[in-house]
Amino acid sequence: MNPKLRLLLVLVMVLGVFTTAVAQEEKRWDGADDLPVNPLPCPVKEGETPEEPPAPELKEYDGGQPVNPPDLAGKDIVLVDVPKLIGIGYFAATTKGMQEAAEELGNVTVTTDAPTEANIDEQITFIDNYITKGVNGILFAANDPVAIGPVLKKALERGIHVVGYDANSVPEAREWFVNQAEFNGIAKAMMDSMVAEIGEDGAFGIVTSTFTTPNQARWIAEMWAYTNKCYPELKWLETVEAQEDNILSFNQATTLINKYGDELDGLFGMTSVATPASADAVTQAGLCGKVSVVGLATPNAMRPYVKSGCVKSVVLWNPVDLGYAAVYVMRAVVDGTFKPGDTSVEAGRLGTLQVVNGSEVLLGPPFIYNAENIDDFDF
Amino acid sequence: MAAITREKFQRSAAASSADILKRLANQEVILLAAIVLLTLFVSLYEMGALGRAQPRFLSERNVVLVLQGNAYIAVAAIGMSLVIISGNIDISVGSLIGVLAVVGGNLAVWLDKNSLPVWIAWIAPLFLGGLAGAVNGFLVAYLRIPAIVVTLGMLSILKGGLISVTGGEWIKDLPTSYFLSQQRPLSGLPEMLGNPEGFLGYLASVIGQLPVPVYAMFILTIAAALWMKYSAFGRSVYAVGGNAEAARLSGLSTQSIVFRVFIINGVFVGIASVLFATQLSIIQSTVPAGVELLIITSAVVGGVSILGGTGTAVGAMLAAILLSAITAALLFMNVSPYWTKAFQGVLILITVLADIVRRRRQARQISG
Amino acid sequence: MTVIEASSQALSLNQRIRALVFSQEGVLLLITIVAVAALSALSEPFRSVENFLNQGRLLTEIGLVALPMTYIIITGGIDLSVGSIFGLTAVILGYTWQNLGFPLELAIITSLIVATIAGFINGWFIVRVGVPPLIMTLATLALYRGLAEGIAQARSARGYPDWFYQLGQRDLLGVPTQLWILIVAAIIAAIILARTPFGRSLYAIGNNETAARFSGIPVGRNKMLIYAFSGLMAGLAGYIFVSRVSTTRSDMGTGLELDVIAAVVLGGTSIFGGTGSVPGTIIGVILIQLLKNGLSLTGVTGDSTIVVIGTVLILSILVNNFIQRRSGRMSS
Repeated sequence: MNPKLRLLLVLVMVLGVFTTAVAQEEKRWDGADDLPVNPLPCPVKEGETPEEPPAPELKEYDGGQPVNPPDLAGKDIVLVDVPKLIGIGYFAATTKGMQEAAEELGNVTVTTDAPTEANIDEQITFIDNYITKGVNGILFAANDPVAIGPVLKKALERGIHVVGYDANSVPEAREWFVNQAEFNGIAKAMMDSMVAEIGEDGAFGIVTSTFTTPNQARWIAEMWAYTNKCYPELKWLETVEAQEDNILSFNQATTLINKYGDELDGLFGMTSVATPASADAVTQAGLCGKVSVVGLATPNAMRPYVKSGCVKSVVLWNPVDLGYAAVYVMRAVVDGTFKPGDTSVEAGRLGTLQVVNGSEVLLGPPFIYNAENIDDFDF
Repeated sequence: MAAITREKFQRSAAASSADILKRLANQEVILLAAIVLLTLFVSLYEMGALGRAQPRFLSERNVVLVLQGNAYIAVAAIGMSLVIISGNIDISVGSLIGVLAVVGGNLAVWLDKNSLPVWIAWIAPLFLGGLAGAVNGFLVAYLRIPAIVVTLGMLSILKGGLISVTGGEWIKDLPTSYFLSQQRPLSGLPEMLGNPEGFLGYLASVIGQLPVPVYAMFILTIAAALWMKYSAFGRSVYAVGGNAEAARLSGLSTQSIVFRVFIINGVFVGIASVLFATQLSIIQSTVPAGVELLIITSAVVGGVSILGGTGTAVGAMLAAILLSAITAALLFMNVSPYWTKAFQGVLILITVLADIVRRRRQARQISG
Repeated sequence: MTVIEASSQALSLNQRIRALVFSQEGVLLLITIVAVAALSALSEPFRSVENFLNQGRLLTEIGLVALPMTYIIITGGIDLSVGSIFGLTAVILGYTWQNLGFPLELAIITSLIVATIAGFINGWFIVRVGVPPLIMTLATLALYRGLAEGIAQARSARGYPDWFYQLGQRDLLGVPTQLWILIVAAIIAAIILARTPFGRSLYAIGNNETAARFSGIPVGRNKMLIYAFSGLMAGLAGYIFVSRVSTTRSDMGTGLELDVIAAVVLGGTSIFGGTGSVPGTIIGVILIQLLKNGLSLTGVTGDSTIVVIGTVLILSILVNNFIQRRSGRMSS
C-alpha cells in the first residue's frame, strides 16, 4: 500500500483512540448527553417507606417575551406550525391535534409546514420565511435547541408569539414550551416496564435514531441515571444508531440479537420507527417471549406486535393531545390569560395543565399502552 | 481506440496461461476476498478476545442477516450499474423506491379489502418503475438533458410529491399475504436432507432460513450479468458507455439504448421497492434518507467505472453484501458507535483503491 | 478609420449582444427576472429590500461552496464531500475551542486548515492515484462525516463570545456581514475563471485533458488546487454557519452537495465539463433561494416547493438546450 495512505490511516486510528479515551471519563451510556440528570424515586417495594418525591423546584419564569405584540385578544389569529419534519406519523398526529383545537376555538387558523428531512438549516429557513410573511404566532418542535434560537428571537423581536412543543429550544427564545412528559418520567416508565419483563438483573440494548437527536439523548441520559439509582444490577449492553430508517433499524436490532445471543433479554426502541422495527426483528427471529421489546411508539404501528403478545408495553404520550394543547396554550398567551408567573393554564378538553421548570407546560405523565387499552387509540 | 486496447488485452491474456491468475484478480474477487477476510477477522476476534467456542458472527441467523440486510440495495444497484455503464447516473432511485413502496402498500390494502389477489401489488410497482424510468430516459436520451440534472430534478419532484399526497401517514393493516420478503421458500430443506450434521447441516440450515429478497438478489444478479455479457443489447450498453461516438458510428442507436437502459433501471427499482416494502409490517411514507448514495456506492465499489464502459452486476451485489457485512462486523467488534461511519468510509476507500491499483497494474502490463 | 473596420465593429457588437441574450446566463437571468416579478406581484413581503438582504444571508453558505464547485465541474470533475467537510469544520472548530482549549481565533484557523487539507486529500488521490472524482468524493463523503461524528461524540460546542456572531448574525454597512464575503469571493472567482491563464486552463482540462497536458498546462497541480479550494470554501461556509446558528453539530451540512450541484448546473455549467461561468452559478443560487422564499411567502408549502424546484431545474435546462441549439443554427 502507498506509504502516504498508510500514514493517513494510522492518523485516523490514532485520532479515534484519542478522542474515545478523552470521552471515557464519567462514562454515560452511548447516546446520552452531558446535561444534568434528575432521576425520579424508585418504585416502592414491600416493607419500605416510599422516598419523598423531590420537592418541585420553584423556578422563576425564564422564557422570552415578544416585543410590543399587537393586542389580538379574542380576535382571529393566524399561526404556523413548524415541526422537525413532515412526512412521519408522529407529526401527522400533532398536526391533527392542532386542527382539532383550531376547529374548537373557531378563531385560530393553523398551517403546518416544515422540511421533508429533519434538517436544522432548512427548519430555520422555514421559520424565517414565516416571520417575513407575517404570522401572529409560531409553534415549533426544534431540531436543535440552540441553533433554532437566533431565528426564534428574531420572531419575538417582531412581536410574534412563540410556543414550542415536543422538542424544546433554549428557554429565552420562546415564551412557553408544551412538554409532552418530563424526561425523567419517560425514563422511569421505560425502565420500570423493562424490569417488569426481564427482572432486575437482565441485560438489554438500545436502538435509537442518531446520537445527536436531543430528545433521545436526554431520555437515554435519564435512563442511565435512573438505572444507576434503582437497578444497579441491570446490565446495559450497547446503544446503536439506526437513523429514522425502518430497514436499518431492523438490521441493527437483529445484529444486536445475533451478537449477544442468550445474554440479551430486552431491547429499547427510542423512536417511533425503531420500536416497531425492533419488534419485527424479535418476531422474525422467533424470539418473542425471550427478548422483550419496550419503547416509544405510536399505537397504530405497534398494534400487530401487542396483539400477538410479542410486545407487552409501549410508552408514549398522546401526540394528538400534544398538538391540541400547544394551540390552546398559544391562544391563551395571545389573549393575555396566560402570563409569566402563572402556575397553570386551561386547555380545552384536557382540563388544567400545570406549569413546571419555569416556563414549561406539562401535558401529563407518560402513558403506557398494552393489549387491554391499545384499541382505544387511533394515531 | 478503447476497442483495440481491449482486444490487445484479451489476446495477451489468452496467450499466457500464467495470466489466468491475474485475470481472476478482478474487482469481484477482491470484494469476495474482503468479505471472507472480514468474516474471518471477526470470527477470530470473537474466539480469541471473547473466548467463544462458536463465533456468533457465523451463526445461521447472522449470515442470513448479512445477506438480507442490503438485498434491496443490491437489486437496485444492478439497474444502477447498467445506468452507470451506459455513461449516465440516476440520483432519483431512493425517492422512487419510497414512492413505489407507498403505491404498492396502498394497492395491497385496497386489493385485500376488495378480495382481489394481493400479488398484483407486487407486480404493479415494476410497471410504474419502468414508466418512471421511461420518463427519465426520454429526457436524457431524446431531449439531451444530462442525467444528473434530470434525476436531481426527479428526486425533488418525487420526494415532495410523495409527502404532498400521503401527508406522512404510514401504511398499516397490510394483508399478511403481502409480506413477500418474510417468506422462506426453502425452509423445509434441512428436513428434506434428513437433518444432516456438520457443515452440510449448517449450510442447509442457512439456506433454509434465506428469505425471498436474497434469492431475488442472487437470481437477478446472475441473470443480469449473463445477459449483459452475452446479449447484443448488453454489449451495446458497454459500447455506448465506453465510447458513444464510436458506438454511433458503428451503427448503434445510442439514444434508444440509453432510453431502454433507464426503463430497465426503473423496473429493477420497482423490484427493489417491493422487497423494501414487504419486509416489515408497516411502510413509512418517507423516503429512506441517503439510499441513493448507498446504491451508487454499491455500484461503484463493485467496480463499475463511473466513466462508463466497464463493470458488472456481480460486483455491485458483492459490494452491497460487503457494506452490510461491514455494518454488522463493526458492531460485533465493539467499535465505538461514534466511529462506525469513519471506519465504513476508510473501508470503502480501501476497496476502491485496491481496484484502482489493480487496473493500473493491468494497464502497465498491457503497455509493457 | 475605414468603413470596413467600423462595420466589423458594429457586427461584433451586434453579435455580442445576441451572444449575451442567448447565452446560458442570459436565458437564466431572464427566467429569474420573470420569477421575481411574478412573486413580487403575488406577495408584498417578498419585494421588500429587507427580505432580499435576509435571503442573501441565507444563501451565502451554498453560494460560497458553489464557486469552487463550478471550477471543478468545468474540469469535468465533481465534489460530493463538501457537505461532510462543512460538518467536519464545524465540529473541529467547536472541539479545538471547547475541548482542547484553543483560543477561538486559532480554532477557526485550525478548522479552515483541516477543511483545506480534506479538500486537498480529495485532489491528491484524484490526480496522483487516478481515482475518479465521483468515487473519491463518495468515499470521503462517508469518511469525513464519520470523522466529524467520531470527534464530536454527539456533543455540541456552544456559548461563543459575542464577537463570534458578527459574521453570521449581524450586518456590516446595512448588509449581512457574510454576504460581503460572498460578493468579494464571487467577484474574485469570476475574474480568475474568465481572465487568467489559470481559469482558461480549467476549461481546457474540461474539454480535453490529454490535449491540455500536451499543451503544457500543469493539469495535476491545477486540479489539486481547485479541490483544496473546494475544501477551504466548504470550511468557510461551515464556519459562517456555526456563527449564524451559534452551535456545532456533526450532522451539519448533510445533503448540501446536492443543493450546490443543482445550483451550479442550473447556472449553465455543463456536467460534462468544458463550459460554465461564475455569474451563471450565482444566478442559479439566487434563483433557487428566491423561489423557495417566494413560494413560501405566497402560501405554497415546503413539499410542493421542492416539486416546483425540481421541475424548474429540468425545464430551464431543457429551454436552454433548445435556445442554444437554435441560436447555434442561426449563427452558422
